[in-house]
Amino acid sequence: MLKEMKYVIATIGLLAATTLQANENQLELQNNPELWATQLGNYQGNRYSKLDQINRDTINDLRPLWQFSTGVLRGHEGGPLYVGDGRLYIHTPFPNKVFALDLEDQGRIVWTYEPDQDPRVIPVMCCDTVNRGLAYADGRLFLGLANNTLVALDSESGELLWEASNGDHTKGESNTMSPLVVHDKVVMGISGGEFGVRGHMTAYNVESGERVWRGYSNGPDSDVLLDPQKTLMMGEPIGEADLGVSTWPEGEWKRGGGAPWGWVTYDPELDLIYYGSGNPGSWNPEQRTVDGEPADNKWAITVFARDPNTGEVKWVYQKVPFDEWDYDGVNENQLIDVEIDGKQRKGLAIIDRTGFGFLLDRETGELLVAEKFAPETNWASHYDMDTGRPVVNEEFSTFRQGVNVNTTDICPTAMGAKNMQPSAYSPETGLLYAGINRICMNYEPYETEYVAGQPYVGATLTMMPAPVQDEDNKGRMGSFIAWDPVKGEVVWETNERFAVWSGALATAGGLAFYGTLEGHVKAVNIDTGEEMWSFKTPSGIIGNINTFQHQGKQYLGVLSGVGGWAGIGLAAGLEDPEEGLGAVSAFAALEDYTELGGVLTVFALPDA
Amino acid sequence: MALNKMPRHPLVIGAIGVVLFLGMTSVSAAPAPKEGSEPGDYTVIDGKVDQGTYDGYIAYTRSCMACHGPDGLGSSFAPSLIKRAQQRSFDEFARVIAGGLQIQPGKVMPSFAGDSYVLSNIENIYSYMQARGAEEVGRGRPKVIEQAKADKTAENNKESK
Ligand code: HEC
Repeated sequence: MLKEMKYVIATIGLLAATTLQANENQLELQNNPELWATQLGNYQGNRYSKLDQINRDTINDLRPLWQFSTGVLRGHEGGPLYVGDGRLYIHTPFPNKVFALDLEDQGRIVWTYEPDQDPRVIPVMCCDTVNRGLAYADGRLFLGLANNTLVALDSESGELLWEASNGDHTKGESNTMSPLVVHDKVVMGISGGEFGVRGHMTAYNVESGERVWRGYSNGPDSDVLLDPQKTLMMGEPIGEADLGVSTWPEGEWKRGGGAPWGWVTYDPELDLIYYGSGNPGSWNPEQRTVDGEPADNKWAITVFARDPNTGEVKWVYQKVPFDEWDYDGVNENQLIDVEIDGKQRKGLAIIDRTGFGFLLDRETGELLVAEKFAPETNWASHYDMDTGRPVVNEEFSTFRQGVNVNTTDICPTAMGAKNMQPSAYSPETGLLYAGINRICMNYEPYETEYVAGQPYVGATLTMMPAPVQDEDNKGRMGSFIAWDPVKGEVVWETNERFAVWSGALATAGGLAFYGTLEGHVKAVNIDTGEEMWSFKTPSGIIGNINTFQHQGKQYLGVLSGVGGWAGIGLAAGLEDPEEGLGAVSAFAALEDYTELGGVLTVFALPDA
Repeated sequence: MALNKMPRHPLVIGAIGVVLFLGMTSVSAAPAPKEGSEPGDYTVIDGKVDQGTYDGYIAYTRSCMACHGPDGLGSSFAPSLIKRAQQRSFDEFARVIAGGLQIQPGKVMPSFAGDSYVLSNIENIYSYMQARGAEEVGRGRPKVIEQAKADKTAENNKESK
């Protein structure tokens, strides 16, 4: 008995020690500017690097050192990790291979991991078989496979350490997101908003893969892990219980979506994780009304602040109550410290699907700024800053216009003015940098029936380029912007032929980087947006540009490989409302510029 | 007023056989041949389409668009079904939908053998694609011909034969 106790105490001690280590290891790695140890560069999601060997003076000499084909065709999101061991770790879309590549030997394959997955998950992935990449801590790599299995690999050997099941693809659940390691836990969400899944965020133990907590995006408070007397909304306790049930028609919350498939960020001081939940179930708003009137459908399209230890919700902010446009609220929450009216605030900035740039207080969830970064945005005129709710424009309300009525010229499109492509933030300039979609839509809801494992959409849509003032830019579908999150203003903007679907990078070298759907990696002057350098990779870029330094040399690494929703929606070109039947589209078709194929390209300065 | 009727193809019983063979349990889900029409037939009046062709658009949008792109135009990884419907007989078209296809690794066409909704709409999807290929129907969700007009047209067609 005594002996057993001793053993228990010893293992608890051991666990506590590794607990601290995991968190500190990731923190330590991300505080080292030479490394890129987490997909967003740091816990705050800033995608900023202090490295400056590649800068405005040297950028002209930047060239590719080597390329590596992943052998996988479809859309490549995410990017390479560099944790200081002389290797790059990369992943692929389904079948979700992982490669450890020797950085000192032109990408020689050190090891490969390839899971065995049921291919029947492929048809339940709404928007290509993408995956946003690996997480790392303490010699372990973590990857969320398409089929909802979370795997932990030994980074030294590629050996499988454990696996945990996070969902069931036969019910329409799948995974595309990158997990995040916080303390002794690895957190992971889920995809399937187009298949009527019920969204959740789940924490697993880094050592064992054991499930620690799960917080749903809808249903009773006990499932959401919120306390209406304590959890804040706009700075006040929510008050009313079980809004995740009562703001839905009978039982609809069970297929209520709110799938958190985007990025998770973390504030180590407040010890809170932040993420957004996706669209509420069916795209037909009529099917989500209560007594025929709009209902909030909580907690879809909501920013959650949770305690990573218990999953408990500290505060919520619902960006779009009663969605009528598929403004899936998963975009990354950038944790930035700002000065507002002479006061330091712990801010949380979002360049959102809705076309609005938000700034919240990340301690309380209060809304501080909500301004349009995409000027064409017309579904709402503005946000009421007291209630935090959008003031919806009736003309573009697909619910008010009705089922089987085509509501036209809504901006932005369901793809969002910005999709999952993560933004960057430079603490030097105080600005956010992001790839933007300049696309609008017609949206026509229809009655649809729920069948487990089958699409549950309930609206048809057509898309067209956003209107522009200046004729030269007619038909352009994307841009790259610098956004002032406090003033709520676009500082500069560069136009792109296609939506910019790649993640941004900001560096101390005075540069911002992004990729285009044609396949260019571009470097622009961070102060003006002026293009300073570009290189065409073999396929369109929907991945993120990461940077790191090894033995005194700064590198840039990016996965190209066109796909994602952009590869589906833009392949054949968008509709021109003025175009006659059968006419060749006046607008660019992505299929005229790029083809499939995953390739990692690694750049550096030749004489560094 | 534009009025179009596709030339008739011999009805392909084979495809239905394949569909039934591939693990279908409910007979009601079999693509029942519509009376007086054949796979690929469609009617367009004033840019509006018959109910079957409309249902084809909805079924396509619900179950195929996520891979084959908006309005049948193709995506980065799956072919345009407008082009393919012109190149393939109904038999070949239906066989792929029921049985799936993977020529290039990663470009997976799933089998819809277990999806009665899709199986019962294969003819409609084929008709929609034929109408798109003939440039009789444009992009986006088509409108349905009002019933009275459709009856009158059918009547006229009979008379003209
Ligand atoms: C998960 C993605 C996906 C879905 C969903 C999907 N398809 Fe496909 N389909 C493909 C791909 C990829 C190919 C090409 C396969 C190849 O060539 O290897 C294909 C091929 C086809 C072909 C054969 C084309 C030819 O070359 O003859 C037909 C017909 C087809 N699909 C019809 C459909 C229909 C109808 C639906 C909806 C009921 C559908 N598909 C849904 C991905 C999909």
